[in-house]
Amino acid sequence: MSDKRTTHFGYREVEEDAKAGLVANVFHSVAGRYDLMNDLMSGGIHRIWKRFTIELSAVRGGQSVLDIAGGTGDLAAKFADIVGPTGRVVLADINESMLNVGRDKLLDHGYQGNLEFVQADAQHLPFPDDSFDCVSIAFGLRNVTDKDLALRSMLRVLKPGGRLLVLEFSKPANPLLEKAYDSYSFRVLPFMGKLVAGDSDSYQYLAESIRMHPDQETLLGMLEDAGFVNCEYHNLTGGVVALHRGFKA
Amino acid sequence: MAAAGIDPTLTTAALAALEEALNRALSLDTAGQQQLGRLAGCTFAIECTSPAINVYLQPGVQRTRLLGFHDGPVTTRVRGAAADFAELAAASDPAATLINGNLALQGDSAPLIELQGIIGRLDLDWEAPLVNVLGDVAGHQFAEFLRAGFSAGSAASNSLLRQLDEFIHEEARLTPPRLEVEDFYSDLQSLQQRVERLQSRLERLRKRMRDTHA
Repeated sequence: MSDKRTTHFGYREVEEDAKAGLVANVFHSVAGRYDLMNDLMSGGIHRIWKRFTIELSAVRGGQSVLDIAGGTGDLAAKFADIVGPTGRVVLADINESMLNVGRDKLLDHGYQGNLEFVQADAQHLPFPDDSFDCVSIAFGLRNVTDKDLALRSMLRVLKPGGRLLVLEFSKPANPLLEKAYDSYSFRVLPFMGKLVAGDSDSYQYLAESIRMHPDQETLLGMLEDAGFVNCEYHNLTGGVVALHRGFKA
Repeated sequence: MAAAGIDPTLTTAALAALEEALNRALSLDTAGQQQLGRLAGCTFAIECTSPAINVYLQPGVQRTRLLGFHDGPVTTRVRGAAADFAELAAASDPAATLINGNLALQGDSAPLIELQGIIGRLDLDWEAPLVNVLGDVAGHQFAEFLRAGFSAGSAASNSLLRQLDEFIHEEARLTPPRLEVEDFYSDLQSLQQRVERLQSRLERLRKRMRDTHA
């Protein structure tokens, strides 16, 4: 029997060292059609969830923001608008393909000067202590191998008083909604993925990884265990998505 | 702890749509938008107590934002029930309604009055988007047609209101005219003050009589 530690990759148990590579393959595969699939899968509601995240970030002009797993840069672009020329936004993603798509998109839209792009692992953030006023991670935490390690790393790079925002799929509060959501995730999503992105496996993984992700209360406990204070969460769209917020004391 | 209330998806979506509509409208009046830019950095909080909804308005040079959450300092806070805000929206003199109505005002009122003035003076140029879609000639003619229509409609509506007002107050005597009501309330207030003075004088006299007998 292998003594290597394991973790989940969707519903599969895999060795911890292997998960990052498997997740990377998923995102290499979907990067080109990521924005289109997001709009199709959520009916555009992901923009509302991200807008709410921006509101709760309370970011102001001149501040510094780290957007982890920033992907195609939806949040980073909004943050860059708000912090202005005297502020700083770092779009970080572990996946080279996603980062390339995000960088090309934002540069094409004229974002430069206050925006940096960094390929970084959320578990080992390559930034000095107390660097950012706000750290956000949207739809990325569930793909991280060691979530506790990542949360502690985010706490380290936050300035005292800074806030962490975790936007992630969660557990619907209503059982009826949960059933409808299950049917949608496991039947419609993989089919849609095959049709639009030519890859049903990646979207099957998406549905499975959402089910394996900690629910609202568990994630809240993880934030508190990592050292965040005044933690809270807001259910969005009946709990399909939850936004967790915690502060560095 | 989870925050309770209306699902933020709904309020955020509504505010996003409203913000988009507002900014599109503002883009039709560049002078108004520039004036709003002078209020950049101000945050106006509109706190509705029933139903419990908060909206934060942040004017900007490029874009005016409408938020459902705001953690920073607020320049002016207006608080009241939905009915009070509806009364303000329908009032012919919003500034007077704001001061004399049931709405609670907190903070610096000068930027709020300036904001109200800018909104009141907005002169949207509907011709520009029409010309962009229909072309110079057709767009201009359609805009002229709309302007004439609006102008005639507005004149007819004003005339109807004036005549209706005259009929209700003067012909049918269904309700007293505004000046009569104001005069009546003024008399009533003065009578109330005189009664209160008389009452306190009587109290003093009673007390004096009790002291004399004792």
